[in-house]
Amino acid sequence: MTPTATQPLSPDAPLIDIRGISKHFGPNRVLDGISLGVRRSEVICIIGPSGSGKSTLLRSIAFLEKYDAGEIFIEGQLLGYVNQGQGRRDATTAEINRVRQHVGMVFQHFNLWPHMTALGNVAEALIRVKRLSRDEARRKAMAMLERVGLAAKADAYPIRLSGGQQQRVAIARALAMEPHIMLFDEPTSALDPELVGEVLQVMKNLAHDGMTMMVVTHEMGFAAQVADRVIFLDQGKIAASGPPATLFRDVQQERLKQFLQNYLDRNAFWER
Amino acid sequence: MFDAQSFLHALPLLLRAAQMTVFVSAVGLLIGFLIAVAVVSACLSPRPPMRRLGNLYTFVFRGVPLLVQLMLAYYFLPTLGINVSPDVAAIAAVSLCEGAYLGEILRGGFLGIPRGQIEATQMLGISRFATLVHIEIPQALKLTAPSLVNEMILLVKASSLISVVGVAEITRTAQNIAASTFRPLEAYVAAGLMYMAVNGILSVLGHYAERHFERA
Amino acid sequence: MTASLSLIQQYGPQVLSGFGITIVSWLGAVVLGMALGFLIAVLQLFAGRWVRTVLRIYIEVLRTTPFLVQLFILYYGGPNFGLSLQALDAGIIALAIYGSAYFAEVFRSGFTSVPRGHLEAAQCLGMSRLTTIWRVQLPQMLVIITPSLVNLIIILSKETSVLSIVTVPELTAILTQIGSEQFIYVQTMLILSVCYLLLVGVTQKLGSWAEARASRFLQH
Repeated sequence: MTPTATQPLSPDAPLIDIRGISKHFGPNRVLDGISLGVRRSEVICIIGPSGSGKSTLLRSIAFLEKYDAGEIFIEGQLLGYVNQGQGRRDATTAEINRVRQHVGMVFQHFNLWPHMTALGNVAEALIRVKRLSRDEARRKAMAMLERVGLAAKADAYPIRLSGGQQQRVAIARALAMEPHIMLFDEPTSALDPELVGEVLQVMKNLAHDGMTMMVVTHEMGFAAQVADRVIFLDQGKIAASGPPATLFRDVQQERLKQFLQNYLDRNAFWER
Repeated sequence: MFDAQSFLHALPLLLRAAQMTVFVSAVGLLIGFLIAVAVVSACLSPRPPMRRLGNLYTFVFRGVPLLVQLMLAYYFLPTLGINVSPDVAAIAAVSLCEGAYLGEILRGGFLGIPRGQIEATQMLGISRFATLVHIEIPQALKLTAPSLVNEMILLVKASSLISVVGVAEITRTAQNIAASTFRPLEAYVAAGLMYMAVNGILSVLGHYAERHFERA
Repeated sequence: MTASLSLIQQYGPQVLSGFGITIVSWLGAVVLGMALGFLIAVLQLFAGRWVRTVLRIYIEVLRTTPFLVQLFILYYGGPNFGLSLQALDAGIIALAIYGSAYFAEVFRSGFTSVPRGHLEAAQCLGMSRLTTIWRVQLPQMLVIITPSLVNLIIILSKETSVLSIVTVPELTAILTQIGSEQFIYVQTMLILSVCYLLLVGVTQKLGSWAEARASRFLQH
């Protein structure tokens, strides 16, 4: 029943198909039987208390963490493992990269390479992985930097850029590889409050342009405005999910109520 | 190719020589430590001339190879009219050299003591010297214990050079064995193993020391 | 005064040659030792358990035994295995092997000091392990490990004096010989000391310059 690598994906089929995945770190069950389908151009925001497994879920989709049970299909292809008769074996790095090549990731701490300029960072994978010529790569990289509004900073080293600017370069770097899916792991959590807006704007533009996105975030405003679906993760399970309007306004679930109340108490600064 | 017999015969002789190695290293470490305390005090002194002196000492005794220092001690002391046995000259040279290296390690330890403590003891009227002995040194020791053990291991290895001035430690004894049996490989491999054994024991002691000081 | 001048005339060339040998053996050992150490560190990243264990033993043996003993084993024990080396060759090779163990440890800590996130970003972008090492880890590593590398290079420069014990005609050997020929031990030892201090001082200055240049883009 598993789709093979060569079968084209029907337009309605999920781009990311997560079926009952679990993961433990020692005695802790960090992910507990999570199933989720992400459709083309859908924007999904994942929220939840710390330790709920949000980052682990995202990193499992990028296969930066190896999930223990269940299956993750990226565009119809099994990620991280290869079916072998009755069981399955670990995929080789080449096989993982092949499945993962259309997935881009943006990290909480940007992870720009400090010894290369902004342009250098964006162009690097184009040269090394897509094997473009240096000129072609630089042209594409410049276009990406323009898209995130940082063409003027192309020759700056990360140490000279603000947090918001670094994160935008990181987004450009991931976008340069022409991903079909973008994963964001708390992209604004490490930023000073005034710099959060510029990054969220870039992400909103991406969403409007039709990118399929999964965002782990604490920015409820962003989730409310841009998400097609919000997923509330608690103790490794999906405790609630739905469109932001329903999830936020008609809060049914007790844990979600608590979580949102907590959030409101810390963040609301007008008269209630 | 490798004569196991001469190798095995060398071991007991080298075991005895190891005592000398450990003795010289230990004494060198002890005296070196005292010198190091003086050097650190100079380096951290509020008076610039003292600081310059301390830094100069550190630069010279860490910059000149130990071998050269050993030979200097061996040839220099007699010219001053001090006629000492090679063993004493060796220990002197090793101590002076160690003083510089230990000084650097202790410096880190001293700098790690919160300034406020020193000021408090000063306010209580305790003398500079007493502060040094009762407050600063014990804490510096605690902070730098693992590095000190590491330094001892380095010292054991460096002690192989004192063979040059004729001290009957491991390397010298191995040389003698090699000369009399015409089997240098076996003698020196045995010597190497002896050093590894000594350093291995020191490492284990070092781990215990580390854990002991962690708890305190 | 004239005695000193004639001495300088008489021994000048020898001393220079000795200094040259010191430099050659030092730099030869540094280059070989660094290359070997780097190779070992990379192998430790990629190789299986057995290879890693062998490498671990190699490093531990070299770091817990004195250099002098290692030199003796190579030079005097080598013929047992058909390896009859000239003193200078044995000296450089022994020093290089000795240094490689320490360089390997420095490179190893360098590899692990690059933040995991930077490697994960490269992974996600599809870069191969080799490309990641070459383009992402190595440049950043060099910044972090430069002080340790400089320190090791200085240590090796001083260890060259040990080569005199196996009759390599480097600076220590030459000046010791002059000292005993002319009965001016102390003077020659002092000159020798000054030579090494100069060498160490210059290397330290170059090292500081290299560290400063390298850390331009270190992001904290």
